[in-house]
Amino acid sequence: MRTIALLGQPNSGKSTLFNALTGSHQHVGNWPGKTVERAEGFFTQGEELYRVVDLPGSYGLTANSAEEVVTRTYIEHGYADIVCIIVDASQLERSLYMLADFAGVKSPVMLVLNMMDVAEQKGKKIDVEKIEKILNIPVLGFTASDLDGYPKFFETLNRALEKKAKISSDKIRDIVEREGEKSHVENLKKLEDLIAPLKFDNRERFWMASKLLENDSLVRSEVETAVTPEHWKQIKEILDAEGSDGGLLTGEAKYRFVSAVLRDASEGEEKSMKLSRFDKIATHRIWGKIVAFFILVITLAVSMMIAVPIIMGCFGLQGAAEPIVNKLLRSWPVLASFFNSVIIGGLAVTVAMMGFVFAILVTFGLMEDSGYLARSSYVFDSWLSKLGLHGKAFMPLVSGLACTGGAVCGTRVLDTRGQRLFAMVLLWSIPCGSKVAVVLFLASVFFGSAAPLFGLVYLAMIFASFWLSSKLFGNKLMPVNERVGMIMELPPYHKPHWKILFKTVARNVWAVFKKAIAVIWFVSLLFWLISYSKDGNVEHSVLYTIGNAIEPFTQIFGMRWQLFISYIGGIFSKEASLGVMSVVFSSTMDAFSLVARNEAGANLGEMMRAVVTIPEALAFIFASMFNIPCVLAMGTTYRETHSLKWMLAIAGYYFAISLGLAFIVYHIALWVL
Amino acid sequence: MCLSELQENQKGLIQKINGDSRFVSRVVSMGLPPSSPFLVLQNDGRSPVLVYSHDTMIAINRKECMQIDVEMA
Repeated sequence: MRTIALLGQPNSGKSTLFNALTGSHQHVGNWPGKTVERAEGFFTQGEELYRVVDLPGSYGLTANSAEEVVTRTYIEHGYADIVCIIVDASQLERSLYMLADFAGVKSPVMLVLNMMDVAEQKGKKIDVEKIEKILNIPVLGFTASDLDGYPKFFETLNRALEKKAKISSDKIRDIVEREGEKSHVENLKKLEDLIAPLKFDNRERFWMASKLLENDSLVRSEVETAVTPEHWKQIKEILDAEGSDGGLLTGEAKYRFVSAVLRDASEGEEKSMKLSRFDKIATHRIWGKIVAFFILVITLAVSMMIAVPIIMGCFGLQGAAEPIVNKLLRSWPVLASFFNSVIIGGLAVTVAMMGFVFAILVTFGLMEDSGYLARSSYVFDSWLSKLGLHGKAFMPLVSGLACTGGAVCGTRVLDTRGQRLFAMVLLWSIPCGSKVAVVLFLASVFFGSAAPLFGLVYLAMIFASFWLSSKLFGNKLMPVNERVGMIMELPPYHKPHWKILFKTVARNVWAVFKKAIAVIWFVSLLFWLISYSKDGNVEHSVLYTIGNAIEPFTQIFGMRWQLFISYIGGIFSKEASLGVMSVVFSSTMDAFSLVARNEAGANLGEMMRAVVTIPEALAFIFASMFNIPCVLAMGTTYRETHSLKWMLAIAGYYFAISLGLAFIVYHIALWVL
Repeated sequence: MCLSELQENQKGLIQKINGDSRFVSRVVSMGLPPSSPFLVLQNDGRSPVLVYSHDTMIAINRKECMQIDVEMA
């Protein structure tokens, strides 16, 4: 088996290539011991099996963030048989910086100039053969979204594997020596001499010295442990004197190297030197936000249009299936109940919600593919940077109003895993339509016309929760010293690649579905088991026994057992909490239907008002606001974090704050009223 | 002068980037090393500044602009 490592800057089309190569044969997990996503896949060509490792995207090889550390470590240890560097042909000068930063790593390498179609549209002529000749490594002009071009990719890959060509840093060193400021060049040479006795394995000495001069944390600590204290003292003196200027010297030289490569190999006047008319609006301080909101509303509307028929269909089918199952399993009522509540009920909920996941992934994919997402990030960055988040988080966060689980999948647009995790934490605070409906329903039952006030209080509480989350999780997930204020590229607009987009989305929806159904079936089974009773009376179920037993404890939070059980039901789905209430407040109803019921009974409001006191109602309403959103949100969070631990941590956090809030509200209300 | 002092459609040349190594490496890898020519695409006095350099449209926060010394070209 041969291993190919894909290395490229964000927006270089690396994931498109990865997806097209590996199709459904991919595995996404975490790098061992790191909060960084690891994507790996396989494909066969002829007899040979290839493994493709999609390295986290970064703009260069200096190890600053967790993602960059992973990429760098993988590259410098030479784990791959071939490193495939992907650059954006339409932004060649900038994106070839990655190749220049790589020069000096002694791994076989090939270069893919991706998005040749966009470059052509921009009026650029790129002489691929000439670049290959200058660099002396296999180079391919390519459009990753065009599946017809792949035979040529494999051809170049084979050539690269045979040739095992590497790229040295000699030319960059020449430029540094010729054009750099004398004092800095002297320092670089001194560093080279001082580290000369060390072993460099897969790296050239000049590359090591450059990274040292750039104050790269990995090389710094490697050198510090390897040299004598005397040598380190001398090295440190040089580094302290250079400060951050060292990085300027080598950085400038690398760009000069790129310019030299392109001087004869690329031509064409820049057409897009001016801001296009659309971009003038899309990046405008006020209009830009209006456009973004408009696009978001369309996105949500489209999501609803896709999701609602699927939801209706699912629940319709579920309703139709129930009598059939009952008839078939007449003699085994327990089994019938199990099938209806757990298997069919769970399946219906999961498939129904996949409509949202699908819609959000498609619309976000479109926005990212087309380049618009970066514009919306640009206009909203100032809002989100207060929380430590990138502007890109705006779209997923707002789409949480449609469906938490779907929006959790939408956080993929964020670049680092820390950012994604934090966005997920915030998303759980943002109520989806159903949650708002449940909260307002409860508020109107107990407080009549004052219910809209709860909407306002809810909004304020959401912002308070953002603040609390950023205090608790912000610095751990997005270390303050790793944050660099917004310096982002706005990539050129592209035509979306429908075929690849739909294929990728379909694969992702299937993966999410598999994880979600497992979680949902498991939770449904638990609910079914504890709510089962032989005669159908809820008072004869385990649930009732447990509820009564823990009532003295749940009373602390202002929740009598019926309310607490409804709160727990709300973890399954928000609608289920109403269903549970309908059952527990009228103990005559069939307890089997606990999991499957999705609506309030006709006279639920009356029944509750008769039993529940105002402080209890307040406690329950506030607990519902920050209750765990639903099992689907748990399922997708599990799938997207690739970590049961993180999913449980987020769930535990919301369990705690919702009960804590109930406690506070209940006791204040007792005291005041 | 710093980057945000240039007006829309003015051309400039990066002179120096001030800040820690992390910041320098970020700015350099995004396409703005010293002595790069660039064009200011948008500078409305409040939003982040949009510049064009090395084939790339780059948005830079105003605070970060203060750390980038430029000269008019």
